[in-house]
Amino acid sequence: MSNTIEYPKFAVVGHPNKGKSSIVSALSHDSSVQIGDTPGTTQVKRSFPLKVDNKIVYELFDTPGFQRARQILAWLNEHKPSSADKRVDVVKAFIAEHRENPRFRDEIELLEPIVEGAGIIYVVDASKPYGPEYEIEMEILRWCGQPSMAILNLIGDEDYREEWKRALGQYFRLVRTFNPMRAKFNDHIELLEAMAHLNEEWTKSIKVAIDVLKKLHRQKIEQTIDVVVDYIIKSLSFVYKQKIKNKDATTEEKERAKERYKAQLIKNEKQLEREIESIWQHLGVKKEKEDLALDNIGLFSKQSASIFGLSQKELIVTGASAGAIGGLGIDLALGGGTMFLASLIGGAVGGVGAMMGFDNLYEMRVMGQKFGKKELSIGPMKNINFPYILLGRSLYYAYMISNRSHAKRDTLELKDDGFLLEDIFDAESRKKLEKLHTKLRAGDNPTDSMVEEYKDIVLKNYLAFVEAD
Amino acid sequence: MQTKNLNLSIKSYFDMSQLLQKYRGSHKENRELALQEERLQKAPVKLLLKWLDKNLYRVTTELNSKKYLEYLSSFNSALGLFSFVFGFLVGVGLLSYSGESPVNIVYYLLIVVFMPLFSMFVSLLSIIFPGKVGNFFTMLFPLHWIEKLVKAIAFRNKMDEFEIPFSSKFTKIFFIERVQLFSLIFSIGILISLVVMVVATDIAFGWSTTLQISVDAFHKFINYIGIWWAKIFPSAIPSLELIDMSHYFRLGAKVDNSMVENADKLGAWWKFLAMSTLFYSIILRFLFWLFTKELLHKQLEKEFLSLDGVSKILKEFNRPFVSTVAPKPERHLDIKKSTKERITPKKKEEYSTLLGWNYSIDEIKLINDATGVVVENMLEVGGSNSFTQDSGIANSLKGKVILYVKSWEPPTMDFIDFLEMVIDNSAVTKIEIYPLGTVGKYYKSNPKDIAVWERKIDTLKSDKVWIIDNE
Ligand SMILES: Nc1nc2c(ncn2[C@@H]2O[C@H](COP(=O)(O)OP(=O)(O)O)[C@@H](O)[C@H]2O)c(=O)[nH]1
Ligand SMILES: [Mg+2]
Repeated sequence: MSNTIEYPKFAVVGHPNKGKSSIVSALSHDSSVQIGDTPGTTQVKRSFPLKVDNKIVYELFDTPGFQRARQILAWLNEHKPSSADKRVDVVKAFIAEHRENPRFRDEIELLEPIVEGAGIIYVVDASKPYGPEYEIEMEILRWCGQPSMAILNLIGDEDYREEWKRALGQYFRLVRTFNPMRAKFNDHIELLEAMAHLNEEWTKSIKVAIDVLKKLHRQKIEQTIDVVVDYIIKSLSFVYKQKIKNKDATTEEKERAKERYKAQLIKNEKQLEREIESIWQHLGVKKEKEDLALDNIGLFSKQSASIFGLSQKELIVTGASAGAIGGLGIDLALGGGTMFLASLIGGAVGGVGAMMGFDNLYEMRVMGQKFGKKELSIGPMKNINFPYILLGRSLYYAYMISNRSHAKRDTLELKDDGFLLEDIFDAESRKKLEKLHTKLRAGDNPTDSMVEEYKDIVLKNYLAFVEAD
Repeated sequence: MQTKNLNLSIKSYFDMSQLLQKYRGSHKENRELALQEERLQKAPVKLLLKWLDKNLYRVTTELNSKKYLEYLSSFNSALGLFSFVFGFLVGVGLLSYSGESPVNIVYYLLIVVFMPLFSMFVSLLSIIFPGKVGNFFTMLFPLHWIEKLVKAIAFRNKMDEFEIPFSSKFTKIFFIERVQLFSLIFSIGILISLVVMVVATDIAFGWSTTLQISVDAFHKFINYIGIWWAKIFPSAIPSLELIDMSHYFRLGAKVDNSMVENADKLGAWWKFLAMSTLFYSIILRFLFWLFTKELLHKQLEKEFLSLDGVSKILKEFNRPFVSTVAPKPERHLDIKKSTKERITPKKKEEYSTLLGWNYSIDEIKLINDATGVVVENMLEVGGSNSFTQDSGIANSLKGKVILYVKSWEPPTMDFIDFLEMVIDNSAVTKIEIYPLGTVGKYYKSNPKDIAVWERKIDTLKSDKVWIIDNE
């Protein structure tokens, strides 16, 4: 090939408003790209390099769409060379001759990276019917003589992929469906694998890129679990202290302390959310204000408990097998048959539903202090389900953010979506977690090894969960 | 490039712990630093110190290390001076020769040989045994109590403002290290007092104990003490004769005449005493001090590396930084709303011509069945037409024209070029653009798509052009 470059480049091209910027935004995890339903939002080509320590592995270009394709093809045909291998020179000549012409600015931005050696990624919206007018664009791209593939995006709710495939097959060796809004990490990797096959010389670099991205993805998951577990331990062992005037705390003082205690836990959760967003490069994602499941009060709501916590039965089984509520003498052998008994004990351990009275579940104590001053202390939370609620809510949030496409500009919708802790943690892991929870509830200082163990359990289970997903 | 900043010190430890409360750097910045300092890649502590050096300016409040080091240096100089003066006075006290009874070298040896040996032994125990046992040994040091006193009085308020980030283990080793240093200074005081006394006064040395020790045994004992320098400096080992001569009995006996006569000979002891001081109190102590200093450094390094936040930075030093986003920010386009209402409902109207942009005649006929538009003259535009063909059509039009377009395809500049030619044709009185949906949607278009067309057409500022909304 005439244009040998040290790393592969790809220009994402196509008609306006077919999702070029969305695809680039999703692939590059860049949520700052302007995406809009007005054609021409992308005015100049923009580079999105994948860099490892400032070394470029590959480079993606977002480009404006074709605007005057017909006029360009006419010019090219007028200057037809004697042999096909000279066609790219004609395209170059077109660019050189029209560089100062504002009429062809968009096309020049689009064609320039291609004649400089970039592979072509041609994007169409296959939810709309095919039309022969597209052949003009494809013909121009063919003049460039670069390796190329087509991506079928489905913006609307119809599906015309079959007719598109027939037409695109004439021009492109590879045709793939890729939805930038819904694509998850594995879809990205599959797309990159397809891109690797466009040109033998690029295969190695793309393989490196895939490797780098997989490692990065794994690191992000690990980082997420780290912050989630740090948060859970911080919140579970949190004790709020407040000086009081008299020997006993007044109701008012108690109420205020309760409010402060809760406020701190809510603050911790908000901070965790920001940390997760920052790990996944989703800072500033818009959230539904009145989202019941994950709002401020939600943390302490019955609803949150029933969505994110363990079910009453699971709670009892877990608690009993970990010895946390063993003193109650549940006969596990009876298994599911003890639901009546279980519901009774549920009351005692503070399970889901009616048992979610948080008021009685954090220990409130008045302690003597030096110089006769008294102190009111609240915490740590005694509710046996509370750790699971924290875990469920934070893993759900992490899951939603980590799977959110960077092409999305809409508000993040947080519904429960049947995200069950029971699906993530097996009984054995829950038992191990419960043992750690028991220690934290007792007010033990979390040691490094406890934190490590907690992280290991959560990471192992979460990874298995997302891999099966 | 081994600048002084790259040595771990109490100051850097303090500064690091203060900086980490405020700033931990991004992966990108941290990794860049690690790559710049390639030579330091295998030396995490040095790399961290480089990082500290680069970022310390971010702490804008007074450095805690400054306060602490001020405290420490005043504490150290006070105690250092005290130790020296104390040592000197102890020396003078021990060496005072009243002219009546000679200076008892046994006392002197207790202070310069046995006390250091004992104190170093206790220090060692205190290092070896962790926790309570070790703390018990530290309590044997007077310095422990002096420090407690000093802290309680003078520096209490100053130091309460921030937390001292050291662990108790570090504090213990630090304390022991200081004990060695002050003992060393104390011993230097003694040595100087010995020199001064020997030069300025005339001292008669003698030895006496309550225990029954023969001259021979004492001679042996003295030789043990002096074993280290016997070879290189034999004159600093007292002879049997001298030992015998200087034996005196405190009880009953006055200073014996022969002793008075031989006072100058008895003075020969001083060399031995000076060597004992030098060896046990100074050289040995100095070596032990270096040893505790090294221990202290090791502990400091350990605690430095386990400061909250350090492991994150170290990880980032070693992890390649991967960037996928656009390095240059985008100049966002503001999208203006259209200024004028350009929508007209579909009416039964007479058109001179029907144009289908990117539609074939067959498709136009099918659409007409659905829309109920009846026009005699139907033409394809766009699509496979050449630009010249289209401009010919634009110039031949007249009267009211209806133009079918695919609503989901936003208007391209190619379309706008054509439309402008039609607008420029004065024979055309009105152009109604009809954006259609797909067949699957029975040609009904999406309001969002209509809005896109409306905005684009609005930029042409022509009163001839209207958009038909089929709602
Ligand atoms: N629902 C949906 N909308 C999409 C998808 N891809 C693009 N869009 C929307 O289509 C419009 C144009 O997208 P954009 O990426 O700016 O297209 P470009 O002009 O080709 O860069 C935007 O409003 C996007 O939100 C998709 O896969 N699904
Ligand atoms: Mg765009």
